[in-house]
Formats: sequence, C-alpha cells, structure tokens
Amino acid sequence: MSAFALAWRNLVRQKRRSFLMIAVVTFGFAAFALAGGFIAQSFEGLKEGTIKSVGDLQVVDRRAVGKAEEATLEYGLPDATRARTLAAADPAVEAVLPRIDFVGLATTGSKSVPFLGVAVDPGPEAAATLAPELIVSGKYLTGDGGDGVVLGTGLAAALNVKPGQRLTMMATTPDGSLNAVDGVVEGLADVRIKELNDRYVAAGIGLVSRLLQSGNTVSKLVVFLKPGADENRAAERLGKALAGGGYTIVVRHWRELATFYEQVKMLYVGIFGFVGAVLVVIVVLSAAIVMTMAVTERTREIGTLRAIGTRPSGILKMFLAEGVVIALAGCVAGTLLALVVRAVLNASGIVLPPPPGATHGMPINVKIYPLAYGAGLAAMLLTMGIASFFPARRASRIQIVEALAHV
Amino acid sequence: MSANATPIVEASKLSRSYRLGEAVVPAVQDVSLAIAPGDFVALRGPSGSGKTTLLNLLGLLDRPDAGTVRVEGRDGEALSEEARSDLRRDRFGFVFQTFNLIPVLSAEENVSYPMALAGVPAAERRARARELLSSVGLSAKFGVRPDLLSGGQRQRVAIARALANGPAVVFADEPTANLDSHTAEEILDLMRGINTSRGVAFLFATHDALVVSRARRVVTLHDGAVQSDAAA
Repeated sequence: MSAFALAWRNLVRQKRRSFLMIAVVTFGFAAFALAGGFIAQSFEGLKEGTIKSVGDLQVVDRRAVGKAEEATLEYGLPDATRARTLAAADPAVEAVLPRIDFVGLATTGSKSVPFLGVAVDPGPEAAATLAPELIVSGKYLTGDGGDGVVLGTGLAAALNVKPGQRLTMMATTPDGSLNAVDGVVEGLADVRIKELNDRYVAAGIGLVSRLLQSGNTVSKLVVFLKPGADENRAAERLGKALAGGGYTIVVRHWRELATFYEQVKMLYVGIFGFVGAVLVVIVVLSAAIVMTMAVTERTREIGTLRAIGTRPSGILKMFLAEGVVIALAGCVAGTLLALVVRAVLNASGIVLPPPPGATHGMPINVKIYPLAYGAGLAAMLLTMGIASFFPARRASRIQIVEALAHV
Repeated sequence: MSANATPIVEASKLSRSYRLGEAVVPAVQDVSLAIAPGDFVALRGPSGSGKTTLLNLLGLLDRPDAGTVRVEGRDGEALSEEARSDLRRDRFGFVFQTFNLIPVLSAEENVSYPMALAGVPAAERRARARELLSSVGLSAKFGVRPDLLSGGQRQRVAIARALANGPAVVFADEPTANLDSHTAEEILDLMRGINTSRGVAFLFATHDALVVSRARRVVTLHDGAVQSDAAA
C-alpha cells in the first residue's frame, strides 16, 4: 500500500477533521484563483487601455526626454511628415500618430481656465485609440480637425461651454511669444482621470501648429504595432531607420511612459500579496494544529509502525502524504468553488469603485486565469507541506517504547 | 535446542534506567541473555521487574544505558535507526498485549504491510498474507478491518503479521492479557505450533501462569535482574 493510499484511509477515518481542513484549503485556493483571475483581468484591461492611449512605442527627440511638457516642442521632431513616413514603413507598424503636447489658457471671454492640450491627426487617432469612445456630448474631431476642439467635461463645465460654442486658446510659442487661436467646441469627452478631465483639450495638428507657430514640428510620434509584433525588435528597427534619416531620437516603450499603470499594478500586487500572506498563515496554522492533533492521537500507531520496521523517514513520508492529499483534495474542491463563485460574480453586474485617479468604476469581471489556479495549487501544496512537516518530523522522531505506552 | 545453537539475539550486561521526576529508577540491571533459534521462552516476574523493558531492549525498540545487544552477530547499538528498523522488519516479529493492528487496514493489508516495507511484490504479498491468515484460522476474514474482529481474531492477525517476513524470533509482550482463558489457550497453541513447525523462536514477557506452563524455558526477573534461567 502506497503512502498516499494509507494517507487517504487515515483522512477518511477522521472524517470531520479532514473535512474541516479540506474546507480551509478549498476556500484558500478559491480565494487565490478568484483574486488572481480578477487581478489578471484588471491588469490586461489596464494595459490595453494604456497602450490605446500612449501607443506601444513613442518616438521623441533625444533632448526632449525628461523635459517638462511646455518645453517639449522646443525639442520637437522637425519635418514630422518625413519621420512619420519612415516609421510607417516598418513592417511591424500598424499606425504612426503625430502628437503635440502643449499647455495654455482657454477662455470664453468671461472665464479663463488653464488647460493641458494634445494636438492630433483626428482620422488615424480615432481609428487607433479610444478617444472617440470618450465622447459624451457632440462628436469627435473629423478630417484634419479644422478649428474644432474637444474638451474634457470638467474643463467644459468650468468654462461653461457646450458643443457648437466658440472659445479662444492662448499659448506660448517655442520662441516665447504669446499667441491665440479661436476654436469651436466639437465634443465633450469624459476622460477617466479626474485631474486630466478638468484640463483636457484635444485639437487638430493644423490648428495647434497655427497657435504654436510650430510648422511641421511635433512633440512625438506615437507608434502602434501590429498584433503579435515584437516590441523590442520593432523599437530597434525604428531607432535605426530614423537615425538613418538624420533624426536624433529615442524610442520609448509604453511601460516607461505609463507610470499610472505601474502604480496601479503595484497597488494591486501589494493588496493581493497581503491577502495571500494572510491566507497562507491561516492555512498553515489550521493545518499545523490538525496535523499535530493527528500525530498525538496516533502516537501508539506510530510506535507500532516503527516497531514492525517502518523507518523514521517512512513515518515522515506518511504524514507529509496526508498533507499533500488534503492540499490536492482542497484544490479540486476549490476549483469547483472558484468556478461557481466566478459565474455568480460575473452575472451579478457589480461595479467596483474606480481605481486611484480614475472617475469610472469597473464592472466586476473575473477571468479564468490558469496561472492563478496553478499558483493557488503550488501555494496550497507548499503551505500544507510546511504545515505538515514539523508534526511529521516530530512523529518520525518519537521514541518507540514511549509511543507504544502512549494512552 | 537452545543450549548449543548460535544465538539469534544475545544481550550482554544490559542496563536501563528511567527518570521518574527527580528519581532514577533502574528497570534492567546487568542482564545477559541469549535467545537461540527455536527457543520458546517466558520472561516472568512481578510488575516492575523489568520484563517489558528487557523485551524492548532485545527487540531493538529501545537502547540500553550500558551493555550490548547483538543480533545474529551484529551489534545493534552500532546501527543507525534506519538499519535497526530494517533489522526489526526482516528478522523480528512483534505481538502486543493490545494487538496494535492498523485500524484503517484490513486483516490482509495488516499482514501485507511489513512485506510492503521489505519490498515484496504485491502479488506475492497478497498470496503470503492469505496463506498466513489461513494458517492462523482466519481464511474467512481477509478483507475485514480490525474493529470488526474479536480480541482472539485480532491477536491471530497480529501473529500472522509478526510472521510476515519470516522472522527468526517473535517478541510477544503479554499476548494473552486481553484474552479470555479459552482464547488465550488457543493463541498459545497456535504460537507453539508455529514454533515447532517453522522453527521461529518466541520470547514472551508475561504474568500469565498459562504462558509460563507452555514455555520450554523460563527466565525469572526480579528488580531488573535475572533471578533464574532454566528449562521448564
């Protein structure tokens, strides 16, 4: 009879206690699997949203790295049309979007509010990003954008403007002079980060170039890659192609630019790590108590097994096997529990509070994430192994004659 | 039979004491004893005379404070715990007062267990366990768990288990103490028959006059020392 078969028999003998222990592992495993699935889904959503916003890669002038936004056009990419053509020629590239980041003051005459602006090529921008989906009133920019602007709903409220109304944007040109252009509010966007929503302006490159007197210079090229493209290799090729074209640029990856993504990810990892640690401690303590009780109750049996020739290592193996069997049984039950809870949660329509800095909550959506299930299994096996080891070692070291005399 | 044969177990100047609070209680003092093949020996003496302690020392279940136990020429005290386990498994059998069967295993599995430890193939284990159980009169109880067996049946399973790996000697600590007199007599007849037919030595620690009356050699202990050692 194998150690596992004997372990199973002993667990069946102690039905109530084994059931309790398996229940602890079941809930621990299900919590791992569900939390892991939820967090993985959140990360994927956040990553997708981030890339939709900042692109897979960004090409900027080498001197612009680390400079404040108002200075970036001073170190912009000149002859942007040629640079865009060079970048778009790469086989891994799906779209190249020129952007100008700028700051200024928006005014309706009666009220003036500072803004953070982005100049875009509206057609490709609408195709590649989520910008049109943010529109809650009016419409997104079309064609070359003309005189149209899109405002964050917070900024629009502050200025008290609606789609169709006019406003004036004032900004400082790279040479330091003040300039102004008039624009028409085309639409209002609900930008999901509140601070940005209160300052957000999007306009066509043409209008902003007139405002900044910047000609064919842009702050950056935002590059979207084809699905499955190798980001690092594409970055390397783009760097070479543009350097060959006479540009002194650097290619930046989306992770370098998405500080928000990394912050939220770290927050989730911290929460998950803490909850996971608490779960592990609960399972370890419960299991250690149960295994210690099992060893104490079966002391005489251990003495008998040792007397008839079971080696100390055999006793150790027998109790470790019980821990492993509990872990496996708990993980099987935990998988079923996790699948049921997942189905209930996903059908519930519960909306979670918005993550830090965001204005919109997330509908709860727990994905089946095999890695989380695998991690849960590994965690429970390790946990039960640790919890079983010390009682098992104690059992293996019991003096035979004392064990045989145990009452 | 025992006088001229090479001993299976040979104890020399064994001493063992226990600590009881502040006091040190000597359980076995300077005992020398040899068990030869085919012996059928009763260790008798009043409670506290050291019968069980001596049995445990001879059976390598405990280590002496002084003296040596040699098993078929090998010094038991020089062996590791693993090696002592292997020696018990292969050369010794044990029968206890309270039967000490593994409650989650059937009669057949209890008998098979020591063979599994010795690496005997499953089919051979099964055949030998059934043969041993049949030889102790339990051919109808192969699949029955210990809690459904009577005291006498349990002790028969324990005897079959003790014989599983073909031991040279079986150590039996008060094997009849939990049995009625009729069953005790049956069990002793069984052991005596095994002793005669298979040549397996038996060493009993006992209070029971019936066991003493069936022994071929009686060793009397008093205060941990051998008082007498004579053929019955």
